[in-house]
Amino acid sequence: MNPVSGAADVSEPAPRIVDKPLTGKAAEPVPVILLVDDDEITRISMAGRLKRLGYRVIEAGDGVAGLAAIRAQRPDLVILDWMMPGLDGPSVCEAVRADGELRSSQVVLMTAHDQPEQIAEGLSRGADDFLSKAASKQEVLARVQASLRSSALVREIERTRDDLDRSHRLLSAKQAELESELQSAADFMRAQLPLPGMPAPGVSMQWAYQPSLALGGDLFQVSAWGSETLGLYILDASGHGVAAALRAVALMSFLREDNLAKAVGSFDPGAIVTEANRRFPLTQDGEYFTLWVGRLHLPSRTLSYAAAGHSGALLHSLQGASQWLSSASLPLGFDPTIAFDSATAQLQPRDRLYLLSDGIYEAPSPTGELWGRDRLQATLESHRTHTLAHSIGDTMTTARQWLGDDIFPDDVALLGVEVLDSPCPAKEKS
Amino acid sequence: MQIIERRIGQSVILDLTGELTYANRAPFKAAVERCRQGGCRHLILNMQGVRFLDSSALGTLALLAQSFSATPGMVGLLNPQSYVKEIVTLANLHQILPVYQSEQEALAGRCLPAAG
Repeated sequence: MNPVSGAADVSEPAPRIVDKPLTGKAAEPVPVILLVDDDEITRISMAGRLKRLGYRVIEAGDGVAGLAAIRAQRPDLVILDWMMPGLDGPSVCEAVRADGELRSSQVVLMTAHDQPEQIAEGLSRGADDFLSKAASKQEVLARVQASLRSSALVREIERTRDDLDRSHRLLSAKQAELESELQSAADFMRAQLPLPGMPAPGVSMQWAYQPSLALGGDLFQVSAWGSETLGLYILDASGHGVAAALRAVALMSFLREDNLAKAVGSFDPGAIVTEANRRFPLTQDGEYFTLWVGRLHLPSRTLSYAAAGHSGALLHSLQGASQWLSSASLPLGFDPTIAFDSATAQLQPRDRLYLLSDGIYEAPSPTGELWGRDRLQATLESHRTHTLAHSIGDTMTTARQWLGDDIFPDDVALLGVEVLDSPCPAKEKS
Repeated sequence: MQIIERRIGQSVILDLTGELTYANRAPFKAAVERCRQGGCRHLILNMQGVRFLDSSALGTLALLAQSFSATPGMVGLLNPQSYVKEIVTLANLHQILPVYQSEQEALAGRCLPAAG
């Protein structure tokens, strides 16, 4: 059924351009005007005037048919008679403004009476403008053109809004996809980290890890290298995010036990770092790694270690003073020709070895003061009588309190290894 | 970051002020490239006004040392302060980038063989 049929006399006369206002704009679509008036003579007369001005006119004979025509045709301009049986002009205006799809329609109320009170009521009920039935040809043309300009602007804004909505939906979908992929990558990275617990008999291990973005460039590992030794390392890829994470995984692959046996032929930390220095030069953007590698001989509790620009290993001794296990050394790739030497340290039962990234002690306070290695060391030492898990957790909390935030500006890793009281099993070398 | 270029004889001194970080490494690299294009073989980075250096900037400086050394040429750091000095020392950067305490020393460093 035609939505504007029935009592209304609706027709869509072919456009007939007889006046000049639209001359020169033939390439543009002819504006469509819906004329709603129950008085047939007035309607035909006004329709004729509009058609002679070059507009395409559709007609409706009452408010209900007019509203249906607005929904069906979405005209550029609606000219409504005030007085109509059933739904009068102001009521149609209200219905249009209440409809989310139609509310931006341009509506002009047409009346024989243009008293100020009537104009005020019409405007308050949703009309955009008024047109007197007795208006001259010039006034009709001027008001219609003004209303069509407004209509064109509103349509343009609506198109822009729709474009923005579409772009926003597209971007949101892409963002969700990207975040999902990043989360998968972050899960993969986290899966590379060791399980807290006992990596070897007589040794316990706990850690905390918080990348500054979804993906971090800090990685660490503690795993058995043969039956009597424990391999430990912590690496820091410069930069943050995906690129740093990918490079970190590449170095982590190099540091796998089976690869070290092939690529280095030794588990000596100095030899490992020297080979890594040769294989991982500075990138063209100046990206690089710092690395600390340790090898703990379990029967003798002797730790050998080597570092490339990484200063984050602290030996917290139960008996003596704590000791930072690092030496001034270049990061990987700064000078591919140099060799790195191993140093050694002797661990005693219940000594703790902490591997950590610089992100924790370089946490700035709200005033910009860095937390510093001294405060970090003092915090770790204050937890001597607490469990390793408590020590790690509380130290992270203290660092966050210093920072005044939960999110560190750099990747943060803090790993603790404790040599237990129980004697290490004496296994024969194979 | 503010960068002012001064030419003294065959050397170029870049007076750096502010923070040398990942975020502003582009203008720094552009300033260095302009010096290089101008035929500079001896570059002195005046670090006195640099209050912060991040890990990315360390890599940029190392890359600079490698590329100037290959030219051949020479880059030196002049008068790094407090935190920057500590970072340079911790990273052992002075092994590949000589550090000078005065401009005269730095300019005289031009005559020394490039750091390897």
